[in-house]
Amino acid sequence: MLAEKNGTGDQNQIFNKNILIAVDESSNARRAVLYVARLLGGLPGFRIYLLHVLSPPEEDFFPSAAAKDAYVQKHRQEIERILQAYHQILTDNGFAAEAVSAHAPERYCPSIADCILAERELLQPSTIVIGRQGVSRQEEFLFGSVSSKIVNKAKGCTVWVVE
Amino acid sequence: MGIAPWLKEEYSRLALRWLPEKAASQLKIHLDTTDFFKLEYGDIVILNQTPYLILHNAKEGRFGLDEEVKHWVKRGVELKTGNAKIIKLVFHEAFKCTIGSSQFDCFRSPRKEARILKLAAGHPNFMQGFAVYDAKGNVVRVIDHIYGSTLAAHIDGIEAGHETYYFNLFPQVLADYMECIRAIHFLHEHNEKHGDIRRDHILIDRQTGRYRWIDFDYNYMHRENIYGYDLFGLGNILIFLVGKGDVLLMDLRDRNHPALTGLCEEDLNIVFNNRVANLRKVYPYLPEALNKILLHFSRGANYFYENTGQLIEDLEAYRAQSN
Repeated sequence: MLAEKNGTGDQNQIFNKNILIAVDESSNARRAVLYVARLLGGLPGFRIYLLHVLSPPEEDFFPSAAAKDAYVQKHRQEIERILQAYHQILTDNGFAAEAVSAHAPERYCPSIADCILAERELLQPSTIVIGRQGVSRQEEFLFGSVSSKIVNKAKGCTVWVVE
Repeated sequence: MGIAPWLKEEYSRLALRWLPEKAASQLKIHLDTTDFFKLEYGDIVILNQTPYLILHNAKEGRFGLDEEVKHWVKRGVELKTGNAKIIKLVFHEAFKCTIGSSQFDCFRSPRKEARILKLAAGHPNFMQGFAVYDAKGNVVRVIDHIYGSTLAAHIDGIEAGHETYYFNLFPQVLADYMECIRAIHFLHEHNEKHGDIRRDHILIDRQTGRYRWIDFDYNYMHRENIYGYDLFGLGNILIFLVGKGDVLLMDLRDRNHPALTGLCEEDLNIVFNNRVANLRKVYPYLPEALNKILLHFSRGANYFYENTGQLIEDLEAYRAQSN
């Protein structure tokens, strides 16, 4: 890992070539992965963390614990398939297989953005990449926007939002 | 497990207060509430050894539509005390909700309502009750009946023009409603949502005059902002109260209201595009500080409230300024 303070003299920002791509099953996430793959594929020193936070719906949604377990298992299988597909995109574009790792921690997330930032604290990449959700203003008002929240709250790192 | 004959006779005797003699002598007694259609008028349901007499099913209407019967919600009395109760049975329902052009998953959760009843025990701005398991493990909620009208009916029933209402009645209405907002803030602070914030889910308790929230069994699948939909509901009610009712574009057009020429898309409710949020353009005497709060719920808003604390802060600042 290459680690150095950035030129602005910001003591809290570490620069490295580690990139966290926050993904889900959406086309926005796929665009974000493709962007990184095409931009940086084949260049030395970059490490990619593919992150999907598995956050099942709250317990109230399920009539029983067994129903919840079945949901989580099915969702995990789906996500593992998607992460494998994203891994393939990156390696097809020149990343070494060992330079790409997938992470799918399971946790209850009132805010997906907060969970992504918490994972970022653990993995310490200096760049987060996320696809713009393209939610309408009405949806953003009612339900919020993960990408907007990450842009507003991320500290000590750079955020790329891919259209 | 059957009911002892002497106990059944006692229940029949007590039920005479509400039922004709023949019905009281032929009581059907339930210990299992799984099939709530089977619980009918004149039946007894026993919960934690306490008998409740079922009188009828509850009904609820929305958006001016005819009232729909809710078979899983029974109105009745606690047989021994005569206290009016609402008995809510287990009904797991999941469906798509559509608000404006947004669609999202909603579901009913008896467990959630049971938790909130426990959390809100003794809180003056929530309905009161408790949860109890029936003989089959269904979580039944027994809720004290609140005598009073809905906030919606109360505001609609005020016979006064808007200016008279605003200067003479609105300050107290707002003070009472702010207690409700603080009550929702209390839920959010405890990681709970109300889930179905509507103007007819606030009852004005005839005995205490307090505004009280009802119906906590609805839930929605939140996305990034867990409390966004609750906040939206709070904002809608606030706009309704400031406007002494919904100010609809259609009504303004029908009345050829002079405010029409000054209204634009940004002045409308961000979700219900037929309602005006920028009420100062219709009622120019509304203070800018109050109107700015309403504009956070408009199409032209640059900034949305992220939590109830922010809304409370702004309302408190407005009230401090206006006192």
